[in-house]
Amino acid sequence: MAKVACSHCKLEFDESVMIKKEVNGKECYFCCKGCEGVYELLNSKNLESFYERLGNNKLEPVETKFDDLERFDAPGFYQKYVKTTKEGFKEINLIIEGIHCSACVWLNEKVLHQTPGVIEAVLNYSNHKAKVIWDDDEIKLSKIIETIRAIGYNAYPYDPAIQEEKAKKLRNEYYTRILVAIFATMNIMWIAIAEYTGYFTGMEQSKKNILNIAEFVLATPTLFYSGWIFFRGAYYGLKNRFINMDFLVSAGALLTYLYSIWAMVTHKGEVYFDSVTMIITFVLVGKYLEILSKRQAVDVLDKIIGSTPTELMVITSEGKKLTPIENIEIGSTIELKAGDKVVIDGVLKNGSASFEMSALTGESEPVVKEAGDEILSGSIVLDSKIEYLTTKKANESLLFTINELLSDAVTKKPHIEQLANKISGYFSVIILSIALLTFIGWYFWLGVSFEKALIISISVIVIACPCALGLATPMATLVGISRLAKEGIVFKEARNLETMAKATLLALDKTGTLTQGKPQVVNFIKLKEFDASILYTLSKLSKHPISQGVAKFLQERFSNLKELEANEVKELRAKGVVATINDKRVLGGNLALMQEFNIQIEHKSSNSLYIVAIENEVVAIFELRDTIKANAKEFITSIKKLGIKVAMLTGDKKEVALNVAKELNIEEVYYELLPQDKAALIEKFHQKKEIVVMAGDGINDSIALAKSDIAIAMGSGADVALEVSDVVLLNNSLHSLKHAFILSKKVFHTIKENLALSLLYNSITIPLAVLGFVIPLVAALAMSLSSLIVVGNSFRIFKYKIKD
Amino acid sequence: MSDNIIAVMLGISTALGAFGLFALIWGIKTGQFDDVNKFLDGARFDGEDELKDAVMMEKKKQEALKRKKEREKNYMPND
Repeated sequence: MAKVACSHCKLEFDESVMIKKEVNGKECYFCCKGCEGVYELLNSKNLESFYERLGNNKLEPVETKFDDLERFDAPGFYQKYVKTTKEGFKEINLIIEGIHCSACVWLNEKVLHQTPGVIEAVLNYSNHKAKVIWDDDEIKLSKIIETIRAIGYNAYPYDPAIQEEKAKKLRNEYYTRILVAIFATMNIMWIAIAEYTGYFTGMEQSKKNILNIAEFVLATPTLFYSGWIFFRGAYYGLKNRFINMDFLVSAGALLTYLYSIWAMVTHKGEVYFDSVTMIITFVLVGKYLEILSKRQAVDVLDKIIGSTPTELMVITSEGKKLTPIENIEIGSTIELKAGDKVVIDGVLKNGSASFEMSALTGESEPVVKEAGDEILSGSIVLDSKIEYLTTKKANESLLFTINELLSDAVTKKPHIEQLANKISGYFSVIILSIALLTFIGWYFWLGVSFEKALIISISVIVIACPCALGLATPMATLVGISRLAKEGIVFKEARNLETMAKATLLALDKTGTLTQGKPQVVNFIKLKEFDASILYTLSKLSKHPISQGVAKFLQERFSNLKELEANEVKELRAKGVVATINDKRVLGGNLALMQEFNIQIEHKSSNSLYIVAIENEVVAIFELRDTIKANAKEFITSIKKLGIKVAMLTGDKKEVALNVAKELNIEEVYYELLPQDKAALIEKFHQKKEIVVMAGDGINDSIALAKSDIAIAMGSGADVALEVSDVVLLNNSLHSLKHAFILSKKVFHTIKENLALSLLYNSITIPLAVLGFVIPLVAALAMSLSSLIVVGNSFRIFKYKIKD
Repeated sequence: MSDNIIAVMLGISTALGAFGLFALIWGIKTGQFDDVNKFLDGARFDGEDELKDAVMMEKKKQEALKRKKEREKNYMPND
């Protein structure tokens, strides 16, 4: 049958299943009621040009059923998410779900603009976040959310007071300061060239004055606006009674600046405004590189919390009633429909149901629970309506605890002190004392003029300028990061490289990290001839991972597979599927299914089984197992060779975990762990003074990831895991994880080299400066030279060859 | 070259540069570079309609403010 595209979402379906309708004299097809509603609404509001803007993009079919609008007007909700602006309007930050292209952004903004009472609506295309300001006396928030939903999108609130916004603000602040500094430096440079030329060829004092004043004008904002960060840093350092590099930078720049003003006014000596801006700009750029890729906050976490239902159906003696989750007491009976998320921990009252628990255990296979079994929040009911008794309050339940732990862990990440910071503290004190002693020595002991003594001691500070020291770490890590990015390894923050290089323990998740994460056919027994298309159709009927594993296997093994028509499809929970295909009754499932249909079969295996019977005759048996990745063993060996301990943490059963560990030669194994257990283990490792790198992929790993020193998410992982991670492996291979270790060690080595180089440079030039052989002009040139050496050395990381 | 000419040239060129710098900083501070995609799409899509839209929003805000003031003026506590 011909396929036609839905007029709204542009997805293609069979003509027979579409709703055909005439809108504004045009014949339209719709895939669902939701799409139809939106299309008509847009037409009635004269917003059809949305579809022109949409181009070739496709949308998701519109979801229609929502019944939680009241919660947006609750005082508690307002308190948590809504702010009041200066002018007395209300402001909220939303994450809009369903944005596919710029047309979606346009439509949302346009519709919100047309809504009376909305004062401002700005939607960010890159991160799907919207800021909406409205007049609360004219329109309620629930109405605004309803408007967004009416055009086929959904909105979640989020709290912008978290670090991501702060980090963005910080980045912006640095950015403007750097812009000013660079602008001033570039302009001072060409003025300085004129000045230096004049120094050697002679220049009239009047012309020199003009150039001096121009330099002064440019240096002033650089020192006090761009350099403010160093003054602030120095102040906080002094307050905590230690002298840091900021102090050296600000003292050096300020002294040079004051001296230059004095020289400018009295016409004695040369001005060194160029050195002032150079110092500030160089070190500021170094600092900026460090903060450039600061940790992204937990956007996805916002979404999870935002989408958690705030009310549940409670069954009391008087009947069913929707109750806010905060008010649900221990021992209440709660009803959940298939597809609902469990929010409060409890015990299943009657019947049985299967639960999807991948958020907790990382295993994609559903778990069947019988009456009396414990149900944990965070799992999802898959197939039936259930009633259960709560055993905890909402804020003591697992889901809530996980959220709490996660946002906690992200803010309280351990800090490994960086080598450069350790050194720069001592360095600053030493340089400043040398400069002071130099001044005292020349002025009081050798009895030269005050002016001369001052110039010499300033030259000590300028030549010792920590530019090279300040650039040593950021430059090496920056080059390292781009090299790693080329190999598909993305470091979110520069200083993680150093931490990774110091790592002593690698904690690995099993499923999805060491194994494929999906069951694969490891053994196939053919008992009778059969039509592969029937099996293929059958395996396609269920979304169960085992069934899908079989489907994938059939696809690889047989050609010319067709999806046949299946009738009377019935899915038996935790057993398998029954259907009629080609007028034959076909069964596909485990041993329990065969027993139920009285089919005699004996087959023993530790693997999961998928048995297919056509007309009560077994034709094929598939054995499936979550297989270990091809290069996992070799990977573990090479990591151990690097001197790093390996531990495996998994939510899976004991036997499976031990089997995998044995196969891979991993001695430290921890199994049957819930998310918080994994996190507790990381804590334990920390207490043993280990620097922990953790690699994982699921929501169940996310707290442990957030707690570890370096969190590595495998590329295909859950969104939360990606968000809390410091390193993302794009190609999801253990090979690149190994490269990450090797390259970070190389980068750390380069950092040490750079620090050694800049200290070596200082140990040669400072004595010369103390003895008065260096005028500040030469000092400024030498300073640039040392920075260049450090930069050059860092670029060698690009050429570094990894030995496999 | 006379001193005055040097001074004027230096002054004007620096001022021009500074003007550009301030325009850039203003753009950053008001969030005009926050969303790269939108920034580029603006060049492709924005036309008269968008301008009218912006004016409409401006007016709406002013009216809302006016109404708010009036409400506050007419507000009388229950006695």
